Amino acid sequence: MRLAVFADIHGNQEALEAFITDVSMRRIDRYMCLGDIVGYGANPNECIELVRSLPRANVILGNHDAAALWMTSPYSMTQDATEAILWTMEQLTPDNANFLKNLNPTIKMGNMLFSHANPYNPMAWRYVVDRKYAARTFSRTGEKLLFVGHSHEPLMITRNNFFKISFRTPGENAVADVDNAKRQIVNCGSVGQPRDRNPKASYLIYDTREDKFEFYRLAYNYRKTADKISAAGLPRFLSSRLSKGI
Amino acid sequence: MKNYLEKVNLRAKFFVWSMIIILAFGLVASILYYSHLKKILMAEAFNKSEMVLQEVEAIRDYVKEILRPRMYELHSKEAFILEAMSTTYVSLNIMKSFEGRMPGYLYRRVSQNPHNSENRADEFEEEMSDWFEADRNRTFWQGVVKKGSESFFVSMIPDYHEKGCLHCHGSPKDAPPSLIAKYGPVGGFRFVEGDLAGLNSVSIPVSRPLALVTKVSVGIFIGTVFMMALLLFVLNLLFGNLVISRLTNIMGILTKETDDTGPAAGTDHLPGSQDELDHLKESFGDLTRYVSLARKGSGPEPNFIGPYAVEAPLIAGTLSWLYKARNTVNREKVSIKIPFEDTMLNPLYAACWQTEMKVLEKTDRHANLIAVIAREGDTLIAEAVDGQDMGTIIDRQAPYRGKELLPLFHQLCDLLAHLHNMGIVHHDLRPQNFMFSGDGLIKLVDLGFASWREIPDAIFESGISPQGDFRYMAPEQMAGKRGDSRSDIYTLGVLLYQMCTGRLPFEKTRSALKTRLRIKENFKPPGAYSEEISKEMEAVILKAMAGDPEKRYQWAEDLMADLEQS
Repeated sequence: MRLAVFADIHGNQEALEAFITDVSMRRIDRYMCLGDIVGYGANPNECIELVRSLPRANVILGNHDAAALWMTSPYSMTQDATEAILWTMEQLTPDNANFLKNLNPTIKMGNMLFSHANPYNPMAWRYVVDRKYAARTFSRTGEKLLFVGHSHEPLMITRNNFFKISFRTPGENAVADVDNAKRQIVNCGSVGQPRDRNPKASYLIYDTREDKFEFYRLAYNYRKTADKISAAGLPRFLSSRLSKGI
Repeated sequence: MKNYLEKVNLRAKFFVWSMIIILAFGLVASILYYSHLKKILMAEAFNKSEMVLQEVEAIRDYVKEILRPRMYELHSKEAFILEAMSTTYVSLNIMKSFEGRMPGYLYRRVSQNPHNSENRADEFEEEMSDWFEADRNRTFWQGVVKKGSESFFVSMIPDYHEKGCLHCHGSPKDAPPSLIAKYGPVGGFRFVEGDLAGLNSVSIPVSRPLALVTKVSVGIFIGTVFMMALLLFVLNLLFGNLVISRLTNIMGILTKETDDTGPAAGTDHLPGSQDELDHLKESFGDLTRYVSLARKGSGPEPNFIGPYAVEAPLIAGTLSWLYKARNTVNREKVSIKIPFEDTMLNPLYAACWQTEMKVLEKTDRHANLIAVIAREGDTLIAEAVDGQDMGTIIDRQAPYRGKELLPLFHQLCDLLAHLHNMGIVHHDLRPQNFMFSGDGLIKLVDLGFASWREIPDAIFESGISPQGDFRYMAPEQMAGKRGDSRSDIYTLGVLLYQMCTGRLPFEKTRSALKTRLRIKENFKPPGAYSEEISKEMEAVILKAMAGDPEKRYQWAEDLMADLEQS
């Protein structure tokens, strides 16, 4: 079974369309979107509709999605993010807003657990990028594979043994073997706003028959996206960061 | 013991209970006989002892009234011939000789103050002396006395001093010298007229007659039991031929007809609660339900649910019927799922029905899943389906060749992937839950025991025993766990097995849970049935049917991919 895992689209329609075009050539059985479809970007409704059109897709609630619904406070984020969220709230159609409202913060499928930021206490929106939160995540969950997003940087965290947790940043278009004996936390990176100094959209495919993770980076027309953001009146930084990958 | 009793069949139940009744009967009869006989024997023993006692009294009277005065006449007043003048001596010696001839009778003549210390009263006799002295009208006593370890029938008569006795029992000064020389001046004197002289008693030991009675009672018990066992055996034969074999015939017919049509159809009851008559009752229940429900929509009176006219029944699911129906407003053909009465009466099944309705309404459309149009109260209005249930089709057309399998299984695996992706696990994927239309389209029409991750799982929360058809059930489900998506994959494996070989890996048996669990581990690999099944196909089936869920296919898509390759 080939599962495409992607996250953090943030209203970036161009990146999402590039993703969909690319992934449709890769024989995907199921899709898993780890949240943050809206926020920062200029096309929240289009992105939601595109994600909903994916066949056999599951979607998870992200912190920007929750903020856009007033589930959590939009003022707890950076100033640019807050402004983008407040703008997004006005754009969302009732149907799309309703779709977001019914999303779950975590989904369990087989021996995998999916969440936006951290699987235990998902509404805390922690970045699982260091040893402390990785160890906490491992100890408070039972599933073998944990998929997260939120940090906008692809990452593979493996629990080697009780004392050692190893971190590995996969290269562009890398293929990593799934370790059958060890638990792993896998971060698929961001489709719409990568922050690892690589402007290409990031996603991963998990192949259960081959036992492999396939990490992909996609080039897309970020200039077009940046122009749309500026045209919408959103903060300048949100458009200028796309080309730098920050 | 109770469990054992429930497990055996009707004949054995009848036999066991009859044996218990016979034994009880024999016991009661022998107890009654024993007590009756004991009473009779006691009366006889008392009678005999009284007779002997009165005989001795007669002897003593003779000594007192005839012999002693005559002795005084012949010899001097001072003479004392013990052997002719002491009633005690005479009676004791006569009785000793008597005892020699008739063993079993014990004569005692005792006093609290005897001449001869051998004749002193014991503790019980002292008590009896007091009792007699308390009321001069008490002249006779009978009873059972326990002396040491033995019990005796005892008859007792008191003896009072008269004037004539005081010659030897009054003041020692007046007594004959030879008496004093023999026994001394201490014992046996200083009585006055009217004092209690002593007690005469005859005792018969109890154990002898009682032993006899016990022996006879036991004999009667054994005899009764034997005779009744014989009677029972004969009656059993008669009953067996006249009644049981005919019942079994009726049952055979009924269970064949009604197997898959009752509520929670295919739910096999867990071990040990059924004998033939219970099964018969159930089958009758199923049959009447079938008849009464099937009349809905096929009688002259039309049945309406909202604007929909209910027509003929299509198939019975786990919790509901699927009927053909027609929308009277726009003439559209539809189908209706109507829950069984039993479903709505049982709160657990009613909850399962609510789940089924929610799942069918909210699930994204899929070609192989029946599509819901509307909901009228507790019934569902769905798209029209036609064809027959897949179970019947498979029975007719199996075994399938590899090429014919693929389109069928493609539909099944795709549907399963669709459901599992949404977090829906079916738990009961029997072929009877699918409708197979003429153009090869499979439609899942029943999700009675399904669970959905979005809503609470009634069956899991209730902790009820495994629900569904044991032949298709995954081993972890049979062991009592609710199961997950991999249990569905196991069932798919069983379906594959059935389609390839034309038979099921396990047949329905009415055996204990433990045997059934072991059966799930041992089944003939499909290759054993047919040469046509390739090694790869066999490997797919065996992996799908692995006992350990971790070793099975984890995803329906993987099963399909391997199937396509084989």
